[in-house]
Amino acid sequence: MLLMIPLSYNLRSLVARKGTTLASAFGIALVVFVLSSSLMLSGGIKKTMGSSGRSENAIVLRKGADSELSSTFETRLINLILAAPGVKKDETGAPLGGGEAVIVIAVEKAGTPGKIANVQVRGVSDNVLKMRPEVKLIEGRLPQAGTDEVMLGKSVRGRYTGVDLNLSFELKKNRKVQVVGIFDAGGSSFESEIWAGVDTVKSSFGREGLVSSVTVQLESGSKYDAFKATVESDKQLGLQSFRESEYYSKISSGTATFVSAIGIVITVFFSIGAMIGAAITMYAAVAQRRREIGTLQALGFTRRAVLGSMLVESIVLATVGGLVGAVASLFMGFVKISMMNFATWQEVSFSFTPDPAQILISLALGGVMGVLGGFFPALSASRTNPVIAMRA
Amino acid sequence: MNLASLAARNVLRNKLRTVLTVLGVAVAILAFVLLRTVIWSWTVSAEYAAKDRVATRHKITFISPLPVRYKTQIEQIPGVTHVTWASWFGAKHPTRESDFFQSIAVDPPSFMAVYDEIILPAAQREKWLSNRQGALVGESLAKQFGWKVGDRVTLAGTIYPGDWQFDVDAIYTVKRSSLDKASLMFHWDYLNDSIDARRKDEAGWFISRVKNAGDAANTAKRIDTLFDDQDAQTLSMDEHAMNASFLGMFSAVLTAIDLVSIVILVIMMLILGNTIAMGVRERTNEYGMLRALGFLPKHIASFVLLEAMVVGLCGGGVGLLLAYPVVEQGLGRFLEENMGAMFPYFHVDAPIAGLALVLSVALGLVAAIVPAYQASKLNVVDSLRRVG
Repeated sequence: MLLMIPLSYNLRSLVARKGTTLASAFGIALVVFVLSSSLMLSGGIKKTMGSSGRSENAIVLRKGADSELSSTFETRLINLILAAPGVKKDETGAPLGGGEAVIVIAVEKAGTPGKIANVQVRGVSDNVLKMRPEVKLIEGRLPQAGTDEVMLGKSVRGRYTGVDLNLSFELKKNRKVQVVGIFDAGGSSFESEIWAGVDTVKSSFGREGLVSSVTVQLESGSKYDAFKATVESDKQLGLQSFRESEYYSKISSGTATFVSAIGIVITVFFSIGAMIGAAITMYAAVAQRRREIGTLQALGFTRRAVLGSMLVESIVLATVGGLVGAVASLFMGFVKISMMNFATWQEVSFSFTPDPAQILISLALGGVMGVLGGFFPALSASRTNPVIAMRA
Repeated sequence: MNLASLAARNVLRNKLRTVLTVLGVAVAILAFVLLRTVIWSWTVSAEYAAKDRVATRHKITFISPLPVRYKTQIEQIPGVTHVTWASWFGAKHPTRESDFFQSIAVDPPSFMAVYDEIILPAAQREKWLSNRQGALVGESLAKQFGWKVGDRVTLAGTIYPGDWQFDVDAIYTVKRSSLDKASLMFHWDYLNDSIDARRKDEAGWFISRVKNAGDAANTAKRIDTLFDDQDAQTLSMDEHAMNASFLGMFSAVLTAIDLVSIVILVIMMLILGNTIAMGVRERTNEYGMLRALGFLPKHIASFVLLEAMVVGLCGGGVGLLLAYPVVEQGLGRFLEENMGAMFPYFHVDAPIAGLALVLSVALGLVAAIVPAYQASKLNVVDSLRRVG
């Protein structure tokens, strides 16, 4: 009784039928590529939006507003929020936080005249860099406080006509702002924003006396509950507090879910197609080798050994395809796409971000397709009657 | 027996393989139809846009409103027959917060004049026009939330805080696809009277109807010129351009789906080509025999090509048969009822079905070109000598 047919037998037979092997493996590679890419994009959306929020920061909105865009409340509430317990103070004793005014403006996409995109403009307080230490100036200089100078997130650069370093554009009729700097925000969605002084934004859009949100840095993440309780205690004020990280994952979840749902639906269809392709290949491989298989059985290999061997062959085929697909999908890491985030109407640019779990999932899918596609052909091979097969 | 019927018979020779191939092609065609339908359904609003309507919004940001008084000025422009205005309200269902739908405050009489594709019973229409707290609800939105005429509903405001109560006075459907059936409209007066002074008398946007559709683009320009020296400048577009610019914000997703629908066709060709190539290899002997009998290389080639086209056609047909129940009954119903705001109309469009069928045959042909060429080039003596 021989229990194992050497693996080299399978490998050689795959090589012997180069054409069909390549075609099936390529089909599986495409499936794995599509799944892996859509998971990478969904991961990229989560990462971009997720890294915008820090867990030790809190953001306060008007109760009921689903994003900063639909939130407005009076500036007199800012000091109340800054005085709440747990808010960190800087070296001068001033609270680390401030009101921000958020708006989206229509700008023309570079290279496509007449096509407009919505870009978020954030009016920030003077101490914003202390509150968001991940934001670093990479070109030009910081805007001077109290002037109509702005800086751009690095993803905004080059995307829109007339919005670039040393250029100026209108936030309001006859009110031009001058771009003096470019900043990096560690890959977060702030990089898709334009930052101006909060007063510039308020007066340009007729929002004197109003802000969209207040963001504060807390002494530590554990101080959040006390802060939230204080801010929300007076129902008359109508305020609602979120951890900044929680807020950003909330506003990105719609888009991220949408992208992964599309990716999964497509993958399901693709895998059925590719599995059928693998099954056809394996059936043909088995049919052509009836005689060989009969001989193997005559030599003493068990049915189980034949079944196992055929399955291994199919899995090898699928895994090679899967590997090619997964590796190819890594190249999507160089691609950046920009799309509208449903919750905030702003255009944000995302990249495909690989992570080990997602690559393993994609590879596993390749293997599973090999098992499922190869099972029935393998079963048919194991049921070969050696006498009849060798006579043929 | 002619060549065509021989080709058809050959199709049935390896039944299992043929069935698998047809299934493979069918799944690919199903996926293709599904993806094209997603794109079609999404872009349908732009294609079905009313050509005689012009939308006017704030030039710099859609967040900023325009003064309602602009209406009278727009009405003065020759060729403009009706002007209405609306404000985005952003209501949320109190318990189903993540179900997005469009809710807008409108001026009912002028709204009905501009959107003449709306159909509703005369009694409901009267009721809605006269009830200040009345709401006009789209058929699919009403189905989504289980609302009936006469219900009183409470919605949460996201932009205008608080709980807002509406009477569902009327449920509409449409006679053209230029408006979705998943929106809620209510009286702008109700909103305007309930908010504080600094947000009063504002319109989110204006919609004007023009006499001749050909004048729409021109009218848009005239409106913008009219307000050029005002503090709040405007940006006007005909409805088609506006819908297209909205879709442009999702162009990355649409492009991706577009590409994927092409990739699925490549997978389909791989499956088909693989099957045909295997068949040709197995039948080398027979082709030699046919050649020896006097058939020419072109006969052998057309033989292989015909077989591939028959398989492609069968797969395409099965795929389409599957597509109707899956796309229309399953997913279509689900999307129209739950995501009606994004996919207002989701059904298999006849041109897409036709394209799928044509492609399944055409790609079968393309996939078989190489095997057909190889089969026709076989050397008679060699192929007869070859065993199995």
